[in-house]
This record gives sequence, structure tokens and C-alpha cells, in this order.
Amino acid sequence: MKHRRTAAFVAVAFAAVGTLTACTSDAEPPSASGTTATDTSTQATGFPEAWDQEIEIDVFGSLSNYMGVQEGWFSKIVKDKFNMRLNIIAPNVAGGGDTLYNTRVAAGDLGDLIVIDKGQQMDELIEGGLLLDASEYYPSMANTAVFDAAVQNLNAEVDGTYGFPTQVSTLLPTQPSEALEPTFGAYLRWDLYEKAGFPEIGTLEDLLPVFKAMQDAEPTAANGARTYPLSLFADWDGNMMNNVKQPITYYGYDELGFVLAKADGSDFQGLLDDDGMYERVLKFYFDANQQGLVDPESTTQNWDTLFAKYQNGQVLYSFWPWLGQSAFNTEENTAEGKGFMLAEIKDQEIFAYGAELFGGKQILAIGSRAEDPERIAAFVDWLYSPEGVNANGSQTMGAAGPEGLTWEVASGGEPALTDFGREVFLGGDATVPEEWGGGSFIDGVSALNVAVVLPASENPATGVAFNYTTWPSFQELVETPLSVNWSERMGGAASGIEFLVAANQLAVAPGASYTAPADSSQIEAQRNQVKAEIVQASWQMVFASNEGEFDNLWSTLQSRAAGLGYEDVLAFDMENAQAQNAARQAILAEFG
Amino acid sequence: MATKVITPKLRNARAQRVATSRTAGARLTIGDLLFNAVNWFGFFIMVLLCAYPFYFLIINSISANDLAAAGDVRFWPQGIHLANYEQVFQLRGLPMAAAVSVGRTVLGTVATVMASGFLGFMFTQRRMWKRQFWYRFTIVTMYFSAGLIPVFIIMRNLGLTNSFWVYILPWVVQPFFIILVKTYVESMPESLQEAAELDGANIVQVFFRVYLPNMTPILATVAIFSAVAQWNSFQDTLIYVTDQSLYTLQFLLYMFINQASSLAQAAQNAGGNVGAIANAATSQTPTSIRMTVSVIVVLPIIFIYPLFQRYFVKGIMLGAVKG
Amino acid sequence: MRAPGATTTRHGRKTSVGMFLCIVPFLVLMFLFSYLPLYGWVYSLFDYKPALGIGGSEFVGLQWFEMLVSSPTQMQQIGQVLLNTLAISFLGIATSFLPVLFAVLLNEIKAPWFRNSVQTLTTLPNFISWVLVYMIAFSLFTSTGLVNNILQDLGIVDDPVRFLDSGGPKVWIVMTLWSIWKGLGWGAIIYLAAITGIDPALYESARIDGASRFQLMRYITIPQLIPTYLVLLLLSVANLLNNGMEQYFVFQNAFNKDHIQVLDLYVYNIGIMGSSLSMATAIGMLKSIISVSLLFTVNWIAKRVRGESLV
Repeated sequence: MKHRRTAAFVAVAFAAVGTLTACTSDAEPPSASGTTATDTSTQATGFPEAWDQEIEIDVFGSLSNYMGVQEGWFSKIVKDKFNMRLNIIAPNVAGGGDTLYNTRVAAGDLGDLIVIDKGQQMDELIEGGLLLDASEYYPSMANTAVFDAAVQNLNAEVDGTYGFPTQVSTLLPTQPSEALEPTFGAYLRWDLYEKAGFPEIGTLEDLLPVFKAMQDAEPTAANGARTYPLSLFADWDGNMMNNVKQPITYYGYDELGFVLAKADGSDFQGLLDDDGMYERVLKFYFDANQQGLVDPESTTQNWDTLFAKYQNGQVLYSFWPWLGQSAFNTEENTAEGKGFMLAEIKDQEIFAYGAELFGGKQILAIGSRAEDPERIAAFVDWLYSPEGVNANGSQTMGAAGPEGLTWEVASGGEPALTDFGREVFLGGDATVPEEWGGGSFIDGVSALNVAVVLPASENPATGVAFNYTTWPSFQELVETPLSVNWSERMGGAASGIEFLVAANQLAVAPGASYTAPADSSQIEAQRNQVKAEIVQASWQMVFASNEGEFDNLWSTLQSRAAGLGYEDVLAFDMENAQAQNAARQAILAEFG
Repeated sequence: MATKVITPKLRNARAQRVATSRTAGARLTIGDLLFNAVNWFGFFIMVLLCAYPFYFLIINSISANDLAAAGDVRFWPQGIHLANYEQVFQLRGLPMAAAVSVGRTVLGTVATVMASGFLGFMFTQRRMWKRQFWYRFTIVTMYFSAGLIPVFIIMRNLGLTNSFWVYILPWVVQPFFIILVKTYVESMPESLQEAAELDGANIVQVFFRVYLPNMTPILATVAIFSAVAQWNSFQDTLIYVTDQSLYTLQFLLYMFINQASSLAQAAQNAGGNVGAIANAATSQTPTSIRMTVSVIVVLPIIFIYPLFQRYFVKGIMLGAVKG
Repeated sequence: MRAPGATTTRHGRKTSVGMFLCIVPFLVLMFLFSYLPLYGWVYSLFDYKPALGIGGSEFVGLQWFEMLVSSPTQMQQIGQVLLNTLAISFLGIATSFLPVLFAVLLNEIKAPWFRNSVQTLTTLPNFISWVLVYMIAFSLFTSTGLVNNILQDLGIVDDPVRFLDSGGPKVWIVMTLWSIWKGLGWGAIIYLAAITGIDPALYESARIDGASRFQLMRYITIPQLIPTYLVLLLLSVANLLNNGMEQYFVFQNAFNKDHIQVLDLYVYNIGIMGSSLSMATAIGMLKSIISVSLLFTVNWIAKRVRGESLV
């Protein structure tokens, strides 16, 4: 009798506990999430477990590249978790520059969830009453609270919690935010560099004979067109000629308005300084052009034409890894050992952006006219959770996608891509199974296009970074003859960043999350005039017919710029650069 | 009409072959033949110059995209495929947008034509109270604008945002078309109006019964211009409409182009992931999309256009009314 | 027989208020969409930010207008920009007779199939956006493009001719040629319509008097088109400063920028349109005032010369 009663009691107790857990567990995607780690992201917070009414919210996504209602696997996750649909409003897609932003703001309703720039834009919207003070929801946002320092910093100047930071991470601000390859670097066609005999490149100008040798090694591309080491384009010219700025970064400088500031604060140069870095690179390009190393179509072509040239192998040097590599390092080419890889310039100190301590340029905010702000707050909070980070980041940013679909924790405890994941990330795309939402994977990617947490940050659930390209299991997958060859040559390094750090050629600017104050209207008008002059003169100088003309153009530029107010703008930018450096030094002191 | 057409007695056989009813009575000379030859040749060259670029777009939109982007496709299509067009026809919301576009084009054009015709006619009436003032009041609006935001706010206050009428109402009064009609009406004989008024018609009846049927060439012109403008417009959708069911075809295509450019840029900014390049021949480049969209947008116009051309045939009317 | 609402003026002519009433609904529409928004011109006196509304924005008076004329280098730049704008506008006016000629000559083609095809096909360039026009131009005229290949093959030149990136005043002519290419067929439609409206009796009686086809063209067709042409000319003159932006934007580069930058492009280039709505409003205001003044001035001149005004 006693046993039976105990047994019954125990059975009832189990049953009770069982029903209780069943009532409180989340609605998970059925079957396919065969994960071992249960998702606790929403259970830990103070938000409701589920929502009854389906709503559709307007998301003003200033970075979004897709307009309309979000569909596919990401929308299924959002629907299952929050019973919510996302209607993405994308100024990039709708066109017209700031028109959409201005008209929506003038109408008083920017959106329910808003992705915009911090600083002046955020301040204006708060002042205009378009953003909601989310202070009452913040205590429930457990995932966001992990990055509380950043949240507080963002809202320090306002009364309440209006904005939530993006691009936060667990990385130290003195670590580079780039995972594998630096943002800038001298990427050469490795196979041709090899044909030229791997000559040593002591300094920037030594690239010229290397270029010549490479061009001679392959004077025409597969499609019959002439090859050129350098092919330039004007699409991204802003404060200066964009292509001229890139080699300057190899020496640790980055731009801030018209100032070239070194990462460690040891030097600040004005753009138009005599014998400064800007003039040096202009001369470098000028000399290259004199030797026939620059594509004459540079002056009139646009990005699309340039990219096609990279794909066809007509260009032999790339300023950025993601230009040359994504165009040319195809499976076919890399199997033959051809592709763009980082070359070493002996005296280089490539500029790298440290992980921002307090987040990046964009922020998330809840619109003041949102109907269900609590739900949106819960959604925002989810974006900071490991599950949210994996789902929200697009594949181009390195986020791995939902666990169980594209990756899983393998038997050894290490995360690895699933077969489906391999198909997607290496093959280009794949069809998502119906129970995950159907459609193509690429079409189902989150349209928010903002990394709320940096993929390079560590995933607390797995202990390694979110970014799958850093997983050892992935690196084994993508070894090619090209990468092996490169690795051998570069002392066994597995990636550009690894090599640079080992060789001490990386100048990391501590991520101080410094935002420069906005231009006054006076400064803005002057800046716009001056930069137009600089850009125009730079192009003319690169393609000048002789040195005399080159020097003439330079001095004319200096005097015209001065006449348009260059000195005033430069003084303003210098002040900001010093302030930025002070913030960086402070971070260095604290974390270095 | 009691005019007599006098046919000349002398006509040679060659002239008989070449002459049409309009040149009946003129002797064909060497000068004429030379002129015709030069004229034909000149226009032929013009047609080549105008049509070749469009032909260029067509062959590029059906050629392999990487070749097109490199500028290699000049005379003949290479690597023919229809993936570009398939992509466009698979756009979400395309049928609805097409319906909206057709709706606004038809309704908007009818409204504009009627309004322009009526106003153009009314402004020729010297007896109208302060005619010249109101005419100038209308014309001058072509030359000033207060900018986007004020107009937007007014539209919103009038309840026109997210409404189909925002595609019609602002287009009703078009000073340029009114000018065209007025100039045309002024070249018509005044006796028309006098005759009708003698019969007891009021001004509105005069317009509808007498002038409207005789203004067909200029109304056809206004119709063409207006229809094309309505068909091609997307700025108003951009600014005033957020309801997807009111998107026009042009706006959908415009977004498609922008999206492709953005996506292409984003994909190109990818962290150099090895091997993730799809088939370059059929994968979209912004260039290929623009060209495809251009062809799609123009083709309906080319097909509708000849329907209007029959209104440019002379002389339906005046003879009947005179005398 | 009196028209409704007629009253007698002191000249004895009956003016009709009834006629006016017929057009009132349209005038109301125009007022709402064109005149009412003019209150927005007040933005030019503020540092207007949409988020803050006009009430929250700072009042700055004539600051924007002063900025336009603040420094000598700036004045020189604006001078060059205005020169470009006027040069291109005048070239446009000088070639404005071409659509008339086109229509008259096309009218002389007797075969309907050829005439209709020419008319349809020559309007095609009008539908190709400038972005695509540049793409086509790039493909044809770049240093490895079709035209240079032909020139080099034929031995006419040794090095590629730099069609697209050379500067100097010839840029104005090139831009005008592109405009003509794009607009000729479309612009001729108006004149073709006008030609069909010409009273055939005029032709008949002239032919009876023995006129040749050239004389018919010169003495009947063209004079009948003159009123329309003059009105359109007046409208173009009033648009002297408004060349549009897109055409010049796609063709501009560092080498032709000095001569291709027209006013609308200049305003775009120095980023005024983007962030500062107030500056854009100020410039728009100035352009409007100048355009309207031009309109009435030229109209007055026409009245003195021809005896009657055009508008």
C-alpha cells in the first residue's frame, strides 16, 4: 500500500510538473529544431509568452535593401514568436534620397520600428516626438541588458531610453572588428604575383614594378581585353577621390572630413598638406598612369562595368577584399590557384576598426505612434539574443542562420554547418524546407540588414563567434589550392587578419563609438563646395600628361579650396579628430 | 463646300503613277524626285539613329548578362536567355500594379483631355470675364513650385495620400496642354462658333457639339502626351502612397531596379566568401535589370501609339462646315 | 441670344461671367495644388527640419541667400555655372526650329507606311532614360568602344579619341546634340497635329495658282505653324535656367565638369538638395521669380513687335 501511494504521489507530482512546463514552454518551430540547447531567450524576460492578435508593423529600415512585407524563413520565426508581420519601408529601394524620410517625418509617423543613425538624426526625432521612450519596457529586456553600458551611453544625453545600439559585441574595443580579412589591404592577383616571382614590396611605390611585371605576365584577359592593374571608378567619391584614400589606409590613416587621422593618434594631416599622404598617393597613381598601368576607361565608367571587369579578370589589384574576391575568387578560379589575396607591403600598418564599445552608427528605436510598443520591445530584445543574432544577420555579414537549419552543434561540441548550410553558403542558395517557411534562403533573409550584435562577437551558447567563417570546421571546408599557397607564403596564417596581427602590421583604432558633431549649415555649404573641387582636381591630376601639369593642378587646387573655405572646415574637422583621438586614448587606457 | 478642284489637262504618265490626290494638279519634276529621294534617305538615317539604341537595349536584355555588362553585345544577341524577363514577371504584386497603371492612364488621360480641351476652348472666348488674367494665372503655375514638403502636407490634408485620386486630380489642369489647345482653336475659323450660336447653342453646347469633334488632332496629341506621362510616372507613388495595393507598375519596376542595385552592392560587399558566385550569365546585374525594365515599359507604348496615328490624318471636318 | 450671365462693360461689349463660372472648378483645383503650397516658401527663412516642424526650426532670415554670394571663388563658380546654363539654353533655342522642319518634311512623305513608321520609331529615344542613354553612349564612344574601333580600323586615328571625357565649350554642343536626338521625334508630334489642322482650301487655291511644293511648304505650312512655335518658344525662354539635371549628371566627369555643370546639376552636386531643405527652397524661389519675370518680359517684347501678346 505504501509503495503504491508513494508511486501514485510521485506520478501525480511528475504529471503536475509536466503540465506546468508544457503550459509555459514557447511555441517552437515544429520538429526541425532538434537542438539540444532549449531556447530560453523569451522565457527569461518579463514579456508575455505569446501574443494573441496578429499585427503588422511598419519598419523604417534605412539600411534595408528590400521593400514590402518580409517573407520566408525569417518571417516565419517572427510570426511564430511574436505573431507579427514586418512591413519594411526602405528608402534605399523606394528611391528619392531623403524624400521618403522627410515626408514621413513631416507626417509625424516614421514607423513602428525605426532603424536610423544616432547623433543628430536621433536627437531631432526625439525632439520632434517621433520616438517612444521605452524606459518602462527596458527592465524586461534581459538580452539587451547584457549590453547595458552601450544602452546607457547612447541615451546619456536624453531623459529616458529612446535608442538601442547596434553592432555591439563582447569583443574588446582594442580588437579589430573584422573577423577574417581586413577592410583595406593590397589585394593582388596571387597567381600573377607568383609568376612575377613574389618580389618583395618594401613600400607603396614598390608596387609599381610589381604591377608592371604582373601586367606583362598576363597582358590580355580571357575575354581578349587588355588587363590593367588599376581600374578606378568615381561612384563613391565623397570628401575626396575615394580610390585615392584607399592606399592611404595601408599606413594607418582614416578620414574624418578633410583630416587624415592615424589610428594611434600620432599624426593628423590635412588633405591638401604638401608632401602629405593624399598627395603621395595621387603621385603614385599618376606615375602608374604614366607607365600605362591604369585603365583609361576609369574616368567614365561606373561600378557595374568595373565589377564586370573584375569578374573577367581584367583588373589585377583590388583595394578591398570584398571587391576582388567576391568577383573573381570563384570555385573554378581558386581551384586553379587564381584569385585575389592579401600581399604584404613591408612598412604597412593597415587601419582597422576596433569593435565599437558602445555600438555603431545605427540605432533601433520604437516609434511613438506604435500600437503595441511592448511587443516591439520584446522583438528588439530578441534581436540581442543568440537566437536572434543568428537569425537576423544576413549571410553576407557572417551570421549563421537558425540553429538546426543551417548549422548545428556537432558531436565534438563544435558548431558546424549542416548539409543545407553548406548548400546555402558555398553553393549560393537553396530551397528552405516547408516547415521552416519555404522559399529560397536568400529571399527569406531578414530585410532589416543591420547587425544588432556583431557576428564576430562570441555566442555564449557555443563559446565561439557567431560568424561561421571563423569556425575551424568551415575553414577546413573552404581550403583551396589558392588559400593553401597563400597560407604557406604568409607564414601559415589562415586569414589576412591573422597574418597582420602576427606581423604587427595592423593599426587598430580603439572603438570609442565617437560621433562627430553635425556640420553647421555654414560648414556644410563650404564643405560641399571644397570637396567638389578636390574630387575634380584629383582625377585630373591622376591623368595629367606630365609632372608640370600635375604640380600646377595641385597648387591651383590648394588656392581654389582656400578661396572656398577649406581652412575653416579643416579647423572644424581637426577639432573633431582630436576629440575622437582623446576618446580612443581613454578606451585604450581602460582596456589596453 | 462649293470649291472646284481644277485638274490640269497636261499630265504625263510618270506623274500619274507617282501623284496622289493631294498633289493632283502639280507636275512632277526632276527636282521633286531628287527631293523625295533625299527626304526618304534623311529620314531613314534618322530612324537608324533613333531605333538602334533601342534595338541595343533589346538585344542586351536577352543576352548573357556578363557579356552585356562588359559592353560586348553590340549588333547581335549572344547567349540568348529570358531569365531577365522571367525575373520581372515574377515580381510580387505585378498584376495589381499593372491594373493600377492601366486604370490611372485611362482615367487620367480622359480627364486631362476633356479638361484641356474645354479650358483651351474657353480661354479663346474674348468675352470671358477677366480672361487674360485667369489665363496668365493658369500659365504661370508652370514656372514655380514650393517644393515637396508643402505639397505633400496639402495632399495629406485633402485626404489624397493613399488614395487612387492622387493619380488623377493633380493632373487634370495642365497649362501646357491648355496652351496647345488654345493655339489650335485660334487657328480654326470663327464662323464655326458664330454659326452654332446663331442656332441658339450656349457656350457649353458649342464646345461639345461643334469644336470637340473637330479638335481631334490636337486632342490626340494631348492624349498621347498625357497617357505617356501617366504611364511613366512614379514620383507620386513614391511620395504619396504607402499602401501596396496602390503601387503603379512603374513604381514597382523602379523599386526593382533600386533593390537590385542595393542587393548587388551588398553582395559585392560580402566578406569575400569563397565560391558563392552564381552563374554569371543569368545572375542579375543592375544594368541588365534597367535594360529589361526599359524594354518592358516602352513596348506597350509602341503598340498603342499607332492607334493614335490615324488622328493625324487630315481634313475630316472643315470642308463640311464652311458655307 | 444672350449668353447667360452676360453684363455690359463700359465699352459696350458684353463680358460673360457665366463663362468664367464654367471654369471655376478647374481654377480651384489649380489653386489648391499650385498656389496654396507656396506658403512653403517661408521655409527659406528658417533652418527647417521636418522633424521639428516650422515651429521648432530656427529662424535665420536671409542667411541662405547671403551664402550664395559669400566669396569671390564662389561667385566665380556660380558665374561659370550660369554661363553653362545659358549657353546650353540658347543652343536649345537656336535649334528649336528643328521639330518644325521635321514635321514639315515628314509631311511630304506620301507613303503612309513609311511615314507612320518613321513617326513611331523616331519617338523611341524619348522613352529611354538618361541613365541608359549614357550606358549606350559609353558602349559606343569609350576608348575601346565601337566608334573608336571603327576609326582605328579605318586608320583615321591612331589613338582612341576621348569622346566622353574631354572638356571645353564643345561640351555644350555635344549635350545639345544629345538633347536633339532624344527630343526631336517627340517634339514634332505637336507640329504634325497642327499640320493636319490646316485648312485644305488654302492648299487647293495655292495649287490652282501654280505653286510648287516648296512654295506650299514655305508660304502655307510653315506660317500656319508659326503661332504654335512662338508660344512654345516663349515657354522655353521662360525656362532658361531650368535645364534639368539628369542628362548632365550621367555625362559628367572630372574632365568636362567645368562646362557641363548647369544650375540644376550644380545645386545637386553641392549636396544642397539632400540635407538642407531650406537652401533648396531658397534657390527654388529665386529660379521661380526669374522664370516668371522672363515670361512676362518676353511676352511684352512680343506684343510690341507683333502687335499682340502671346499669353
